[in-house]
Amino acid sequence: MVKETYLHDKHVALGAKMVDFAGWHMPVQYSSIIEEHKTVRKDVGLFDVSHMGEVFVSGKEATLFLNKIVPQNIKKLDYEKAVYCQLPNKKGGLIDDLIIYKLGIESYLVICNASRLDEDLNWMVRNKKGMDVKIDNLSHNYSLLAIQGPKAIDLVRKMGYNIPEQKSFTIKPAIIEGIKLLISRTGYTGEDGFELLVENEYSEFLWDKILEEGQEFGIKPIGLGARDTLRLEAALHLYGNDLDENTTPIEAGLSWSVPKDKQDDYNGKEVIMNQIQNGVEKRLIGLVMLDKNIARHGYEVYYNGEKIGQITSGGISPSTGKNIALAYVKNLKEICTGTIVQVMIREKLHDAEIVKRPFVEKKNKIK
Amino acid sequence: MNFKEEMLCSKSHEYVLKEDNGTCIIGLTDYAIEQLGDIVFLELPAVDDEFSQGDTFANIESVKAASEIYMPISGKVAEINEELIDAPEKLNEDCYENGWLIKVKPTGSEDEFAELLSYTDYKEELE
Repeated sequence: MVKETYLHDKHVALGAKMVDFAGWHMPVQYSSIIEEHKTVRKDVGLFDVSHMGEVFVSGKEATLFLNKIVPQNIKKLDYEKAVYCQLPNKKGGLIDDLIIYKLGIESYLVICNASRLDEDLNWMVRNKKGMDVKIDNLSHNYSLLAIQGPKAIDLVRKMGYNIPEQKSFTIKPAIIEGIKLLISRTGYTGEDGFELLVENEYSEFLWDKILEEGQEFGIKPIGLGARDTLRLEAALHLYGNDLDENTTPIEAGLSWSVPKDKQDDYNGKEVIMNQIQNGVEKRLIGLVMLDKNIARHGYEVYYNGEKIGQITSGGISPSTGKNIALAYVKNLKEICTGTIVQVMIREKLHDAEIVKRPFVEKKNKIK
Repeated sequence: MNFKEEMLCSKSHEYVLKEDNGTCIIGLTDYAIEQLGDIVFLELPAVDDEFSQGDTFANIESVKAASEIYMPISGKVAEINEELIDAPEKLNEDCYENGWLIKVKPTGSEDEFAELLSYTDYKEELE
């Protein structure tokens, strides 16, 4: 059974092209992926991301429990703050990547990928044995709307949300247009923006209201197609493409998110700390194609005639006009920024240059 | 020329239109372009390349995916639409008068045309 969000009929009425994504019938585009992409970079866009999982973790040992399952130090997470986390298995490979929000004393919200919700829940339950922790999957109760783009701040202010200086990676309870919700300054586009977690029954009203109030800022509804090109330009990982159970956060270029001084033990810590000290065999790189060809997921990467890895995400970058990609390659010392490698596309090798990530300047620096 | 009235379509969404001088114009139907979305890459064959019916003769990519384009008939390439190579996005505006892909001299039998559908029948087949 393919699931529908509470906003499904809105998408259909807006003329969206619908696709199946992670078990959900979701809008891939409303007008044009490129137009929608540019709207988010220039003005503001509205996304329905209600397919994502919302898991509430609470109880006397909630902090200890979360600290055991992620490399990040949840003990250091302040009230109303958010942190980008990974969920490693015992070998350091990733079951999922998450954002954890601290809602209160021993009370957390974990937002996870729709495609991984079941695995995440199984893993959490297996890891909580004997601990005083409650894990509530309330994904089916909530809708998640993302307002992203340079004008997102003007729009939420206009809608009566006026908490001054809500910083990036924070979450607050708020009342917007008379609706009680949680608003966080997070997103998956590389732009400034907000995510609104609201009970399902208010989602349609809020969706319409945001589009109406956003008109003067040039708002458009944005589908999953542009969500993917936006996150790729920002070099944000997509689980299933750029992250999986055989890839550690260190190999994935996420060392910046892994504390080196965390005392508590966590799943995969030995492997992860060993890689921090002694290096990795494969690692994530960013590529820009040097001709018009487009690198795509699964294509092979070569250096000096030898296969060194493969593309995990690739496509066009509407903001730069270039064709960009993320790839995992052998960690050779010759492979560094500026090195020219080749991508096998339709049985021919095409040059690509290794570049620093992200591919565009991020407006919502995590750190 | 009225493309939609005169052309024949394959089930894989290519069209072929016979010109008076015997060459055939080949392109992708508006339905195919609509399904692909924003076109961002096009690779066409070289003039004089020869293909049989059903062969891959071109590659097209939208933002989301890469696809192959197949010959609706057998033929030898007489001309390619060079303008599209640098601006494949023009296909989203027009895939007929200015957005055809190649012109070929047919090299197969007339029977090949019998396997193709009129635009009306093609559209019906899609529903």
